[in-house]
Amino acid sequence: MVDFGIPIGAGIAFGLGALGTGIAQSKIGAAGAGTIAEKPETFGLMIILVAIPETLVILGFVVAAMIMIMLV
Amino acid sequence: MEYAYVNARIRAMKSRLLDRALLEQLINKPDLDSLIAELEKTSYRGELEKAGILFSGINRIEVAIRKDLVRSFRTILNFIKGEDAETLITIILHRWDIQNIKTILRGKKIQASPTEIFECLIPAGELDEAALTELVKQPDVKAVIDLLATWGFVYSHPLTLHFKEFTETRDMMVLEYALDTFYYEDALSVIKSDESEDARILKRLIITEIDITNIKTILRVIRDRIDHEEARSYFIKGSTEFDIEKLTSLVRIGTIEGVLKKLEQTPYQFLTKVPPEYVAVEKISAFEKELENYLVKKAISQFLGDPLSIAIPIAYIWAKYTEVTNIRVIARCKASGMSEKDLREALISV
Repeated sequence: MVDFGIPIGAGIAFGLGALGTGIAQSKIGAAGAGTIAEKPETFGLMIILVAIPETLVILGFVVAAMIMIMLV
Repeated sequence: MEYAYVNARIRAMKSRLLDRALLEQLINKPDLDSLIAELEKTSYRGELEKAGILFSGINRIEVAIRKDLVRSFRTILNFIKGEDAETLITIILHRWDIQNIKTILRGKKIQASPTEIFECLIPAGELDEAALTELVKQPDVKAVIDLLATWGFVYSHPLTLHFKEFTETRDMMVLEYALDTFYYEDALSVIKSDESEDARILKRLIITEIDITNIKTILRVIRDRIDHEEARSYFIKGSTEFDIEKLTSLVRIGTIEGVLKKLEQTPYQFLTKVPPEYVAVEKISAFEKELENYLVKKAISQFLGDPLSIAIPIAYIWAKYTEVTNIRVIARCKASGMSEKDLREALISV
């Protein structure tokens, strides 16, 4: 019988990470846009700051991959 | 309201405010020309260049900093246009309307020239430069009030109501007190119906302003030996720390030392640090200065409050106003050749 728990677990790990990244990037992106509007020279820094929450979804992806590879 | 974008822009605008070191440099400038040259290295450059076409010397600085202040406040209003925060920020900006109306009324009472009156105005509120130009052109106090009423301006109501009393007494305090009371009551009634954290932040600040106004009134009433029953009618309601009974009991003490002793248990205990020689001669201006500094410090400290709330726009408005006032003081002192010691005393310290 197919065990659905493993892919569902991997999906939750990846999905929640992505959701967290989305929420964080929406706030940082808005603040970054405001800062760039006043100080265009901060563009490079803002790109880095907006990218930082990507670590959440990458960690989620790694956990999901580990679940799928190691447990299947 | 989503504050991330707005507050990031305001924080970036804050980074362009003059820091302590630059203010020191301005203070140390020997004359107006070098002061202008130094200011041209700051964010005031654009406005100074525009003002330089029509004005020179002190007038050039006055016009430039006034336009810069108005532009900054209008920018903030544009950021929050149509949002709930617009109502709250408008309440703060109405302070300048009140201040401008008082200045015009005082000017008309002493028959100052329209140019002289206009120089003292800050068109940062609802009444813009065009409206204020029209108001200063009016021949007397009554004409100013009538014009405000014709425009349907909300602050014409208390003036119209108390004008008869003013004509009998010729005491400007009647109209000024009516304006203040109306402003604070109107502000508190708007905030009362708003349950948000933003409204609570603004309410705390408005109540501090009411307390400060009432403490100033107490000190003046004691100095001028006014009867405590008459003094009751001068207090503004709405404070949580000082209700009317508590304020009246402070007036009953009858001496400034006594009032200061009572204030030791309140947030206004810093007044006890005013030098005793000022207390002895009842120099109220020394206390007023301390109270105003306290209000400005409290308002600007909102920068440390919730970064995603109205605290940041409020702090910026006060920080900008303080900066402009300080530049104005420095420029005026340089123009009149006042000593550095007097200049430093006149500055708003933050």
